[in-house]
Amino acid sequence: MDDRVIIRFNHVTKQYDNDLPVLDDVSFEMERGKFYTLLGPSGCGKTTILRLIAGFIEPTKGDIYFHGKRMNNVPANKRQVNTVFQDYALFPHLNVFENVAFGLRIKKIGKEDIERKVKEALRFVNLEGYEQRAIHEMSGGQRQRVAIARAIVNEPDVLLLDEPLSALDLKLRTEMQYELRELQRRLGITFIFVTHDQEEALAMSDEIFVLNKGKIEQRGTPKDIYDEPVNRFVADFIGESNIITGTMIDDFVVEFANQQFACIDRGFAKNERVDIVIRPEDLELTTVERGKLRVRVDSVLFRGVHYELCCYDTYGNEWLVHSTKKADIGEEIGLHFEPEAIHVMKRSGGE
Amino acid sequence: MKFSRLYLTFIFFVLYMPIFYLIYYSFNSGGTMHHFESFTLDWYKEVFADTRLLIIVLHTMIIALLSSSLATIIGVFGAITIYYAKHRWKQTLLTLNNVLIVSPDVIIGASFLILFTIAGIQLGFTSVLLSHIAFSIPIVVLMVLPKLQEMSPTLIDAARDLGANEWNILTKVILPYITPGIFAGFFMALTYSLDDFAVTFFVTGNGFSTLSVEIYSRARQGISLSVNALSTLLFLFTLVLVVVYYVITQRASAKGGQK
Amino acid sequence: MRRYAYAIPYWLWIGLFVVAPIILIIYYSFFDIEGHFSLVNYETFFTPVYLRMTVNSFWYAFLITACSLLIAYPTAYLLTKTKHKQLWLLLIILPTWVNLLLKAYAFLGLFGTYGAVNALFEAIGIGTKQLLFTDFSFVFVSVYIFIPFMILPIFNALEKLNPSLIDAARDLGASEWTTFRRVIFPLTLDGVKAGCQAVFIPSLSLFMLTRLIAGNRVITLGTAVEQHFLVTQNWGMGATIAVFLMIAMASIMALTGNKKWGVRQ
Ligand SMILES: Nc1ncnc2c1ncn2[C@@H]1O[C@H](COP(=O)(O)OP(=O)(O)O)[C@@H](O)[C@H]1O
Ligand SMILES: [Mg+2]
Repeated sequence: MDDRVIIRFNHVTKQYDNDLPVLDDVSFEMERGKFYTLLGPSGCGKTTILRLIAGFIEPTKGDIYFHGKRMNNVPANKRQVNTVFQDYALFPHLNVFENVAFGLRIKKIGKEDIERKVKEALRFVNLEGYEQRAIHEMSGGQRQRVAIARAIVNEPDVLLLDEPLSALDLKLRTEMQYELRELQRRLGITFIFVTHDQEEALAMSDEIFVLNKGKIEQRGTPKDIYDEPVNRFVADFIGESNIITGTMIDDFVVEFANQQFACIDRGFAKNERVDIVIRPEDLELTTVERGKLRVRVDSVLFRGVHYELCCYDTYGNEWLVHSTKKADIGEEIGLHFEPEAIHVMKRSGGE
Repeated sequence: MKFSRLYLTFIFFVLYMPIFYLIYYSFNSGGTMHHFESFTLDWYKEVFADTRLLIIVLHTMIIALLSSSLATIIGVFGAITIYYAKHRWKQTLLTLNNVLIVSPDVIIGASFLILFTIAGIQLGFTSVLLSHIAFSIPIVVLMVLPKLQEMSPTLIDAARDLGANEWNILTKVILPYITPGIFAGFFMALTYSLDDFAVTFFVTGNGFSTLSVEIYSRARQGISLSVNALSTLLFLFTLVLVVVYYVITQRASAKGGQK
Repeated sequence: MRRYAYAIPYWLWIGLFVVAPIILIIYYSFFDIEGHFSLVNYETFFTPVYLRMTVNSFWYAFLITACSLLIAYPTAYLLTKTKHKQLWLLLIILPTWVNLLLKAYAFLGLFGTYGAVNALFEAIGIGTKQLLFTDFSFVFVSVYIFIPFMILPIFNALEKLNPSLIDAARDLGASEWTTFRRVIFPLTLDGVKAGCQAVFIPSLSLFMLTRLIAGNRVITLGTAVEQHFLVTQNWGMGATIAVFLMIAMASIMALTGNKKWGVRQ
């Protein structure tokens, strides 16, 4: 066993009563010292994975390993894992210092050591001098930091963060993204971060797990996931995309919108039905003559950095285009794109 | 606006009229509650000279303090039991809990009387104490339970996550959090115990008496201004209790930082 | 496990003081005064004497509840509009801390032949009236005793009401009365229910008031239970009446269907 692996899920299923499984036969490994993100829509089972790792719940089937040891029945208070909760879960009857000291006091650590470690942890999250404050006197961002300090002061091997930024406003949120990433580098421990925000996931992670309905759809680096989504769900979730169905005529040749295009994908059966993804920023506005596709502009939105054009081709496919150039509503335009911009994916069943 | 002020004034007038009426005539040397002759403290002297009455007051206090303390302890754990109960059980437990609250006092009194008779418990101090504990427990539960439910469940997860075992969770998280509710429950139980007449009347037997029962038997014999004097003293005592309670809860909420 | 150990006293309490008493009452209702098993108590209950008593009890309880509600709702409503409402509320609660019997006793003086009320009647020319030992005095004193328990839950319900709902109703063109009827009252119904329960149920067991104030003129089921248990020693009959009271209670609880019990603060 690779000793960099810190957490391993082996065919883990979690089911409540007789409902559909919340997690369905999930297996994965996580390595020491990396920043992982669990990404997926609300209700897909992200929190469930965290709670399984933290030990608040036990798997219905399958095994969970820490450092190669099976941990299924080890209670939460005996695991080298700490959690930053979505609602922070700070103890309202304790002040900042006592909140951070909570875990150390349980471990019956000496008074001076507690003092020193709490101070250090608070310095880590830039909250020096706030020791005696009551929790309700702290702002949202500060509470967040207290929650982080309370977790890291215990020197866990793994820090679990359940949508820790979702309660913050946009500006604070971006700031905290940088800080969390920086914190993880300095501490060198494994972070498992949960979010339903794909931009957040792409910005922060070493590796992303995209989840849907209790299954892992894809895992990979942010770039892999963005550039090579394995199916329609991932492509759709990870960013705005144009997803249409097409046919793989042959290796390197795909047909959609009643035309054949060169592409860089191969290995599909001849005439296999596939999903095609083209990112809006990979589509380029040109004249009708020079474009590979001919579309009519339906609406135009100014998005700050670029315009967002919504266009339709003659077959009724919708094409979203991000462009610095503007076009008029109702105008006929051409769209140009490179063969590399076409991502061909196996069709996900059922749809 | 004028009407509403008039209405409220009238309500408060009616509400306090009988109480002040009692207090006023407790200083009447005339011995009746309708013709004020002259000021006297004789009735108060009579109260303080009445050792039987003083012993009854003492008994009432002991019963109230003991029963509300014990009921608070049992009730707090009862509330925690309900809080942790699985969904189906929760409703059943709550219903059972509330039976004594929604039962008329005479039924509680009568059924406890049967219970003590069958169990061979002599009517007197023990039976009264047990009854008071019994009818105070659900009150404590109802005061504590909302506090528990208001507590975010992730708080317990957080404590466990930080290494706390069940005992730590109870003593370091749950109990401190629900302290205001515990105080409220204790004081509620105290007042119910001090106030109770009907249940006590059933289970008190011959040798033992509480203030309510004593006042009842005196009032049945007609008006005696020593009862007025006694009620004045009790009213003052109640005021002190209210102020103490108020100060304690204010301080608790100021410290806990919760509303 | 330790978690279950601390619950043992509570479970004992449920067993001994909640479940056992109910069973005992039902059990005793099947024994006549000599201690023989029989249904005679149930037969007795369905005689006109007891049926009339039942109707009477519920009529009085209803009257007391209705009067309390009629007086308490406006009071609670106006209280929410006052400046120091928490203080005023405390002043409403304070009299409940005075022993019920002392309050009843006060009315012995107030309503007496030469009492303050008759003195007032005399002064305004109505003349002295027999007030004590009448139905009126019974209902009045009962309402007096219970009214804080009606005001409190209604006050809390009104306080919880989101004020912008009232603004919204007014904004949509509702008159003050319509706003009250269509928005405020329905939204405070839970408080009203809680208050009605808090008044109706204890008003069935006011045997001390019937003895002190109503001079045994008003005989309710509560009085009868006390009579049978403590005076005539016919526990079987007392238990039978108690059984019917319990059935009535249970149906009232089911009818008002209030899951959130009116917790007094
Ligand atoms: N204690 C529970 N009992 C039943 N269902 C639950 C429980 N906890 C979570 N679920 C269900 O599990 C699913 C996944 O929940 P969760 O892991 O919290 O999703 P998210 O990805 O939003 O964090 C949801 O559909 C939720 O309803
Ligand atoms: Mg979640």
